[in-house]
Amino acid sequence: MPPYTIVYFPVRGRCEAMRMLLADQGQSWKEEVVTKESWLQGPLKASCLYGQLPKFQDGDLTLYQSNAILRHLGRSLGLYGKDHREAALLDVVNDGVEDLRCKYVMLIYTNYEAGKEEYLRALPEYLKPFETLLSQNEGGQAFIVGNQISFTDYNLLDLLLIHQVLDPSCLDSLPLLSAYVMRLSARPKLKAFLASPEHVNRPINGNGKQ
Amino acid sequence: MRMLLADQGQSWKEEVVTKESWLQGPLKASCLYGQLPKFQDGDLTLYQSNAILRHLGRTFGLYGKDEREAALVDMVNDGVEDIRRHCSQLIYRSYEEGKAKYFQELPGHLKPFETLLIQNQEGQAFLVGDQISFADYNLLDLLLNHQVLAPGCLDSHPLLLAYVARLSARPKLKAYLASPEHVNRPVHGAQKI
Repeated sequence: MPPYTIVYFPVRGRCEAMRMLLADQGQSWKEEVVTKESWLQGPLKASCLYGQLPKFQDGDLTLYQSNAILRHLGRSLGLYGKDHREAALLDVVNDGVEDLRCKYVMLIYTNYEAGKEEYLRALPEYLKPFETLLSQNEGGQAFIVGNQISFTDYNLLDLLLIHQVLDPSCLDSLPLLSAYVMRLSARPKLKAFLASPEHVNRPINGNGKQ
Repeated sequence: MRMLLADQGQSWKEEVVTKESWLQGPLKASCLYGQLPKFQDGDLTLYQSNAILRHLGRTFGLYGKDEREAALVDMVNDGVEDIRRHCSQLIYRSYEEGKAKYFQELPGHLKPFETLLIQNQEGQAFLVGDQISFADYNLLDLLLNHQVLAPGCLDSHPLLLAYVARLSARPKLKAYLASPEHVNRPVHGAQKI
């Protein structure tokens, strides 16, 4: 029986990065799917620390906050850099991924039709830091920090994949990021997960917009 | 991070950036995300305030006693950051319109931290475990700022009030909080308070 359980809505949202991490690391996990109705009517929401999902279980440890979950998995599966210095740099990058994810979520849920054009215009500027980081690390041939994959790579990969759905051409002017997405997506276990019906059939967002 | 460093008996250098030099100078373009703070620990340059807090947490043993506590500290800090985000939006974007709604919703946002304290030695210790963590300094700062924004807003949260009082009384932290450098520094750039 896997020790991991993801409790979440039937979307990719803030859980697909951790799913990709677990899949790529050869871990299995249980999904507890929460429908909108049961969320609004049931006792689960009141029992969640911040009244939000995801909720994550690792054995008897219950966690909330998607980035705390990613960091926990990073720590326990050796995906947090090779030393304290790399760990700090990974945090710097993950927080940047989170900042852009927040902008994306705001667009999708509150301003999609009116805001999409301007968002796409600003997008290259938002993505540039990640291209820069790649260029400074083995010419973009390795990972976002150092020589081993980290929780931040999975988070960034998810962010880039959902942006490619929003605008398939968004990485055209960012060659290192384009190559990075292709290279990571080709990792055997990750490739299998990304091709799986469970991933393919899971909507990115809760309102059907992407 | 200033409270953390002061309380941990560390000294640091402040490089103050004026609004003018920020808008006109080369610093912004040199920052990874075009934002401050920028932090230097010897030859390590960091951006993102929570990454800096985590780095200091890791360095000074302020990240829980084991991996389990570390995960809980992260969970708590991310909750503090969520409130900080809402608060920043209020201060910088919609103060007049948003103020009433924000304070109406505030008790709901603070409740999780009250809950965490109750569950940990009935609020007599720290947010997680028996030792102070970077998340404690972050929450303390948030609560102190809220007391400035709206004195009395913690009155219906006795554990949080006690927590603020207890942490603020730690000798080095108390001295820092009374220092002119802290007292004379505005809470926010928009100067709404």
